[in-house]
Amino acid sequence: MLPTSLKEFENSFSGYTELRVQENRDTRITLLNGDVTSNTKSSNSGIGARVCQKGLWGFASNPEWNTESVKAVLKSAARNAKFMADKGNSQEIDFDLLKGTQSFDLTTKKSRLGQKEYIDFCKDLDDYIFKKYPKLQSRSVILANLDMEKRLLTSYGSENYSMTPRSNIVIRMSVEGNDGPCELYNFYGGLGQFEDIFTTPDALYSEIDKLHEHLIRKNEGVHAKAGEKTVVLDSDLAGILAHEAIGHTVEADIVLGGSVAREMLGKEVSSPLVTLVDFAHSYDGKTLPVPVYMDDEGTTAEDTVLIEEGILKNFMHNKESAKHFGHKATGHGRAYQFSDEPLIRMRNTAILPGKSKLEEMISSVEDGYYMLRPSNGQADSTSEFMFGVPLGYEIKNGKLGKAIKDTTISGVAFDVLKTVDMVSDEMSWGNAGMCGKKQIIPVGMGGPAIKCKLNIGGR
Amino acid sequence: MQAKEIAQYALKALMESGAEKAKCVLTSSEKNELNLEADNINLLRTTFNNGLGLKVIKGNCIGNISINKTDKDSIDQAVKDVLELAKASQPDDAHDISPMQEAAEFSYGVDSPDLDKMYQRLVEFQQETKKRYPTTILEGCMVDYNRTTSYILNSNGVDFKETKGSYNFMAMFTSKEDGNVSSFNYDSVSLKNLDKPLIETAQFDTLLRQSGEQTVLKPLEGKFVGDVIVTPNAFDSFLGSYLSYLGDYYMISGSSVFKDQVGEQIAHESLSISSNPTSELLADRDFVTSGGYRAEDLKIIENGKLNTYLLSQYGANKTKLENVRNDANRPFVSAGNKELAEMIKSVKKGLLLCRFSGGRPSGNGDFSGVAKNSYYIEDGKIQFPVQEVMVSGNLVEGFKNITDISSERNESGSGFIPWVQISGWTVSGK
Repeated sequence: MLPTSLKEFENSFSGYTELRVQENRDTRITLLNGDVTSNTKSSNSGIGARVCQKGLWGFASNPEWNTESVKAVLKSAARNAKFMADKGNSQEIDFDLLKGTQSFDLTTKKSRLGQKEYIDFCKDLDDYIFKKYPKLQSRSVILANLDMEKRLLTSYGSENYSMTPRSNIVIRMSVEGNDGPCELYNFYGGLGQFEDIFTTPDALYSEIDKLHEHLIRKNEGVHAKAGEKTVVLDSDLAGILAHEAIGHTVEADIVLGGSVAREMLGKEVSSPLVTLVDFAHSYDGKTLPVPVYMDDEGTTAEDTVLIEEGILKNFMHNKESAKHFGHKATGHGRAYQFSDEPLIRMRNTAILPGKSKLEEMISSVEDGYYMLRPSNGQADSTSEFMFGVPLGYEIKNGKLGKAIKDTTISGVAFDVLKTVDMVSDEMSWGNAGMCGKKQIIPVGMGGPAIKCKLNIGGR
Repeated sequence: MQAKEIAQYALKALMESGAEKAKCVLTSSEKNELNLEADNINLLRTTFNNGLGLKVIKGNCIGNISINKTDKDSIDQAVKDVLELAKASQPDDAHDISPMQEAAEFSYGVDSPDLDKMYQRLVEFQQETKKRYPTTILEGCMVDYNRTTSYILNSNGVDFKETKGSYNFMAMFTSKEDGNVSSFNYDSVSLKNLDKPLIETAQFDTLLRQSGEQTVLKPLEGKFVGDVIVTPNAFDSFLGSYLSYLGDYYMISGSSVFKDQVGEQIAHESLSISSNPTSELLADRDFVTSGGYRAEDLKIIENGKLNTYLLSQYGANKTKLENVRNDANRPFVSAGNKELAEMIKSVKKGLLLCRFSGGRPSGNGDFSGVAKNSYYIEDGKIQFPVQEVMVSGNLVEGFKNITDISSERNESGSGFIPWVQISGWTVSGK
């Protein structure tokens, strides 16, 4: 249990200070071909403090959170800030300090299940796969739960408490193909504790059947043809495009580090069909996969419109970069563990839905591909991106054709977004995004389907 | 309680609470880290942490728990919880802990950080970069000193202590000239000390120079099958995927492309790969494996022949094969006879692949991705840095189609990797 207040340490603050106590709790179970190969729980908790002196920062952390250790951490962070201030030649920053208070708790109200119930749940899914699809070469079922619980107090009086859980089941299958093993996997679940997300295993059976059908079609599929193609990117891929390829290039630290987006503010960067937003916590009345009401610098979180009808409108900021650019901070300073300092991070990034129907979009493509799912992705300061695509289909004369083998798509995002000529009217959100940037952190991404032109790395 | 007494207390508590076999790893760490962001040295971090990992086996059922507290109440609760995890699990007689080995203590590296030297080396790196490559922007750099002490004990009598301290440096950078921006690039290194300027370590100077050249790129027309010279950093990213086919997941599931191939020629005869975690040549060494074995250096592929799979104790029990006492994470790839410059001269039409940004390779070795920070080679000469070029092929076939390996190797402090020339991969432009 985290302490209910950090107020008692206010008098130990020296100058601009953030004090955060945090616990991350993980549960992980893996069944490989029916055997429990991992059965793990972990907890990582402690106290972290960040202090600013003359515009330079000191951070310190310790796993203990008794009165003595908290004071020692505050002292160490201040000492580090002083070390930097003594070496550097900088000025105090006149931060915009708007005090706020937030509290957000998604702890389930239901009785918690024990590890045995979790394992039985996974075992049921595994039995279903084994009995229904005995010809599979391998199968695995992974359960991954993460609870992130934090409490923050800043020297200017902002306070935050959040308990943000995420629960996922991952199903992975492979079959023996003509040219070696052919694999496919998918994630299920999302925001909330396991008990609020998953009811009974049979609710996932139809998803397993769909995954298996895709796998069989992929095994019988063809290699994509390399080169520039017209593609329809389904929502998962449009989401990762929004996050990786655009989102990262407009994070203010990347902008200051040389991103191509620096000179593009206020300019046309995409088709007018594209409006791209990093949402703080909710959209269309629903809570998003990674709700952030206050960030780890104590800024109350607001939506950030990045591209509005094709025009680049904003960068994403922490307090320091917002001051540098003269923009408003909207709550992007986030840390993963107690021992991490806040970095500029996205929350829930998506292109807004348009007016087209997915069927119309597919039927408008003479020779191209319908890409459904990303594996990994990477972007660049030039906005050039790459995503692995483990699931997609050919489009021939407006109709879906054969499935394609694993491939990679790439392009320069600001160029690719200029080719967007159709955006679907449906919106869906991914449930398992993790972003790596010094620290990993859960992120949300989603969107409609978009039609555009990009490069395929096939044969 | 002192650290070792804490580990002994936890192990004893596990056994007295009903575990049939148990393992306890207690690690304490201290890190001092200087950060540079957007050409500005702006943050000093000091972080302490503990890690107490408990593993139990009871009735062939396994449970694992990890906490970062070392007080008696937290340990007692963790002991109770981990036995509950095992009780909840399913029996599998392949679970085990490492056997009795002679007790040993390992220690290397400097004892404490020199913060002023770290700061001085970082400032020097920043100044040298500005002087040599004025169009390059340091997006982010980190120089840290990390010291850990671990006690590894188990109920078979394993009793190891490992203490290590090293410096690490990472820099990410991009270049900007006349409104044109290069792709970012990065490098990292582990160091025994800070005796040398950071820019003179690993590949920093070369990659910074290349970054400055890469603000103006040229696209390639069409596609061709040619020679690809893979730089050490790019080869390292392929190597991880390639070696994973020898590990637990692919071997237990029966889907490894190298099934039943120990002793067989799986790669070109010029290729030998070892993992040497105890080598004195490294700044970042390991003396105890994650499975609780005293680490041994290991020849994985010798002259293209597969010497061993990379199975854990569980994977070995599951497949009835041998396990290795090596985590396969300190790669030593054999050097060749030809200098890189000579290799480039031998290429009729190909690519110098400096960074690979690709999708996860398939189980059969197929891969594709973008050739970042890379150069087109024609008639034995580097012609120009390329834009939006993709590379695709098959890793298993590619390792068979190695045509040359450079005599130079990159020293990252955690491995030695040369430049490797591979034929038969597809390079595709617009």
